[in-house]
Amino acid sequence: MKTIDCRNMACPAPVISAKKALEEADKVRIHLDNGAPRENVSRFARNRGYEVEELQDATGSWILTISNTNSDKKSTETNSPSNGCVVLITSDCFGKGPEEFGSLLMKNFIHSLLETSIKPSRMIFLNSGIFLTTEGSDVLESLDKLCGQGVEILSCGLCLDFFGRKDKLRVGSTTNMLVIAEELIGAERVIRL
Amino acid sequence: MGNRLMVEEGHLLAVFNSAHRVMKAEGVLKALGLPILLIPAPRKLLTDCGLAIRFSEETRTAVMGALEQAGLLPEFITRLEEGNFVTIWKDRNSSR
Repeated sequence: MKTIDCRNMACPAPVISAKKALEEADKVRIHLDNGAPRENVSRFARNRGYEVEELQDATGSWILTISNTNSDKKSTETNSPSNGCVVLITSDCFGKGPEEFGSLLMKNFIHSLLETSIKPSRMIFLNSGIFLTTEGSDVLESLDKLCGQGVEILSCGLCLDFFGRKDKLRVGSTTNMLVIAEELIGAERVIRL
Repeated sequence: MGNRLMVEEGHLLAVFNSAHRVMKAEGVLKALGLPILLIPAPRKLLTDCGLAIRFSEETRTAVMGALEQAGLLPEFITRLEEGNFVTIWKDRNSSR
């Protein structure tokens, strides 16, 4: 079992560290601060189909033990091939036109990704796009299912803060502009909506 | 595959023939607090506008009552049964 210490790390560093550790070991113990770091790592792992045990120590920090007990995980991901494509969602509406119709089109697009044979590797939500990953969104169920199929869902932390929705994230994890910039520059292909 | 998609066994879908009607219907049902979801109509259904409202058997009476009252009855209602969509209600004026 691999052990990593992610205390005193700002989001999304704990999630990135956890992801890296899980690529190297089937079982990982992670020390985390309470609040967003624990919630984001736990959500990330559960969305990926890992088993998560959470324990709080005497200092108030958390120890998460994450195990890859799902032998089908790899084959599940193979069934939904990812093509290094990043989908950048910058609004809760798709296209220019009446807001209500744009909202419908965006929801329709996200639901439709469940039926496509090729999935994006990541979906990044920023600006008003974060309304799609937070409480009250109509696409949480679809995004949860996409997570389970290996799609990484990332929401801009600054945007969550700006719109006062930091504690309302319901799917995926929080990220920052540095990571978003790296993801966009490093992606094979970016589709911006 | 069922649980990886938006429609699962037993779900009901109200399929409309117009984007305007389905958007109005969604608004009416949500205003009443009914647990519905506007989703793309599954590929198998080959609909005109490609949208459907998903709901459950438990809310069927309330959904149909509200849509009838608002003059927004769908083109047809279908239920996923053992992987197949079975039409369980059809608008009398529909050509389908």
